[in-house]
Amino acid sequence: MLLLAFCFASFLCRAQTPSTASQVKAVFLFNFAHFVTWPPSSFTASSSPFVIGILGTDPFEAYLEKVIEGERIEGRPILVQHFKDIPDIKQCHILFINRDSPPETIQQLNQRGILTVGDRSSFAKEGGMIGFSLENNKIRFQINAKTAKVANLQISSKLLRLADVIEK
Amino acid sequence: MKPSSSSIQIKLIRLILTICGLVLLVACGSFLLYEYFTFRNIAKRELNTLGQVTAYNLTSSLAFDDRSDATDLLQALRSQKDIVAAALFDSSGNLFATYPQKISPNLLPAAIKGQSYFFTSNFLEGYEPVLMDTKQLGTLYLKSDMRPAFSRLLLYGGIASLFFLLVFLLTYLLSRKLQRSITRPILHLAGKAKLVSEKKDYSVRAETKSDDELGTLTDAFNQMLTQIESQNREIQALNSNLEEKIDRRTAELQQANGALKEQNELIQTIIDSSIDVIAVLDKELTILTLNKYAADFLQHSSENLIGKRLLQVVPELAGKTFVANLQQALNGEFIHVEAYHVQLADAFFENFFIPLRDQEGVVDRVLLIAHDVTGIMRANAKLQLLNTELEKSNHDLEQFAYVASHDLQEPLRKITTYADLCEHKIDNPELRTRYLQKIASSARRMTDLIKAVLNYSRLSRTDAEFTEVNLNFIIDQLETDLELTITEKDAVIKKEVLPAVRGIPLQISQLFLNLLTNALKFTEKAPLITIGARPLTPEDRQITNLLKGDGEYLKIEFSDNGIGFDQTYADKIFYIFQRLHTGDQFGGTGIGLALCKKIVENHQGAITVKSEKVKAPLFLFTSQLTPGSRKQPVPSWIER
Repeated sequence: MLLLAFCFASFLCRAQTPSTASQVKAVFLFNFAHFVTWPPSSFTASSSPFVIGILGTDPFEAYLEKVIEGERIEGRPILVQHFKDIPDIKQCHILFINRDSPPETIQQLNQRGILTVGDRSSFAKEGGMIGFSLENNKIRFQINAKTAKVANLQISSKLLRLADVIEK
Repeated sequence: MKPSSSSIQIKLIRLILTICGLVLLVACGSFLLYEYFTFRNIAKRELNTLGQVTAYNLTSSLAFDDRSDATDLLQALRSQKDIVAAALFDSSGNLFATYPQKISPNLLPAAIKGQSYFFTSNFLEGYEPVLMDTKQLGTLYLKSDMRPAFSRLLLYGGIASLFFLLVFLLTYLLSRKLQRSITRPILHLAGKAKLVSEKKDYSVRAETKSDDELGTLTDAFNQMLTQIESQNREIQALNSNLEEKIDRRTAELQQANGALKEQNELIQTIIDSSIDVIAVLDKELTILTLNKYAADFLQHSSENLIGKRLLQVVPELAGKTFVANLQQALNGEFIHVEAYHVQLADAFFENFFIPLRDQEGVVDRVLLIAHDVTGIMRANAKLQLLNTELEKSNHDLEQFAYVASHDLQEPLRKITTYADLCEHKIDNPELRTRYLQKIASSARRMTDLIKAVLNYSRLSRTDAEFTEVNLNFIIDQLETDLELTITEKDAVIKKEVLPAVRGIPLQISQLFLNLLTNALKFTEKAPLITIGARPLTPEDRQITNLLKGDGEYLKIEFSDNGIGFDQTYADKIFYIFQRLHTGDQFGGTGIGLALCKKIVENHQGAITVKSEKVKAPLFLFTSQLTPGSRKQPVPSWIER
């Protein structure tokens, strides 16, 4: 799966298209899980799955399912769930928000220990945790370390090193 | 004695140095070896740690495809002096980032090989997986230059060698000094021992300097010398006594030997002076001893003959009676051979084969004594020959006596008769004259007879030389002598050209004269005489088994058309005074053919006759063609 991702990464350099960009994002979304530590309370049981949720329209068109196929995070199986609205969200660890949502709502989600990821560069400033952006034809991301800390999520320095960190 | 030349000193120093050198070598070697392997392990572990740390940090760079971040991280390796190259490969093996940033490609491997750390000629290289959880995102390659480290090791080696040499030198100097305490007493002892063995001087003593084992050894050596000295003295005393005894005994023995030798020489001289062959042989017929006469006979020196096999020396003896006789004697039989003919030497020996017995009475040798009897044998043979001749002469004499009593009496009787008649017819002169004529004729005939007998007897003891005789010349001569008779009888002599033969000319002439007169006499009218010569055929030899010699013979055929006679008388005609016809019919003394036989026999030939009543008689005899090499008279034969 990752292999595919890197192939696309090199492909991105030459011809960036929205669809390949979203494929890279799908991979990044999965990779974030490896550099962030959730509190034990965010899992009901030791064997409960790791859930990646998508709020709003799915830009990955089932590609995310392909990426996580056969993968595990710290021994847990991975589940991809689509949510239409915020109240639908129950058990979730990473949530990709693909629509405009008021900062209060996002804050509410943050407090539930969910790593919120947005597809806008301003997303982190607006109270989300990680926001994708396009810079020199490369996908980059901003991290709001403060919100993450509030949500009791530990983000690895290795991840922070690569990101534009916002302390607000 | 120079201490430096002593081998025990050298051996001791060598021993110490060998042990010291070996210990040092093992110590330094194991130290260096340990250092080398430890160093390698440490280097490997260090690089491994560095690899793991770096790889851990590189995880996110690969996960989020950040090359610049990865490059930055790798540049941090600058702090590690030995690292000459590093590279990060992604999971499909493509180069993701390098250190230094601009790197020559030959510093990097062409492809990822495994996940381990390993040494190449001058470098330590290694691959470290970059893991995200359990997932490998890529591989980190590190290359460390080992040369500075190796040169450090080399320096250690140099120091160790120097240390080795120093200790070795020190050991040598120390051992030189310390070994003397051991070697000096040994050398002293060795010197004394050498002195004893060279000069046989057992009064030498070694000095005792120490009270250790060497001191004990020296004391024991001295004690041993003392013992040897005293024993020597005893032995010398014994020896001189023994020598005296031996001298006395030797003198006695020499005297006895001399006497024995003298006696032996006398016996040997007697044996050697013997004119008999004396020899002793063993069961293998090996010559054990033989006298000078025997050696001379075999034409060898006795040294060459003794110990040799008889058949080896005289191989001609194999299978001869002589060897059989030797064997018989070896079987215990006493053999006496009166006359043994030795063909080689043409000599005769009277041989004695005497068995010799050993102490147990078993025959193991044979003594041969052979006495030369050749002279006696020769004399015997001569005597026998003379005897034969005498017998023959006797026979002739008997014949002669018979003839004399018979044939010579006849004219005498005539003379007596006519003399008586003369006395009675004294008055008749005519008759008396006739009677007196008869008496004269008888007396003449008597004279002829006596002459003929004398001729015959002369033939018996002729010493005339054999020469080459021309038969043609002789017959021509005889023809001339007999011309008158030939003309009177109207005779014809047909003769071939005859070859020359060996013989006594006068006798050959007499032979032909007798044959010719015989032929002329016993023919009434016109005799035809033929003389021819042919080579002798094998049949001729068979017919006339009278031939004695084995030389080359010639057959001479003599025939006439005379009166002939019955073949049954063929032998008789050759005896003296044997006549087949009455004197009235044919004249003759009756001695002619006997003379012929004698002459032919003198020439080793034979004479026979073949006759048939009607046909002419045929005389045949042989003679050799040309002078032969034989010394014996050339044989000839005649046949009728």
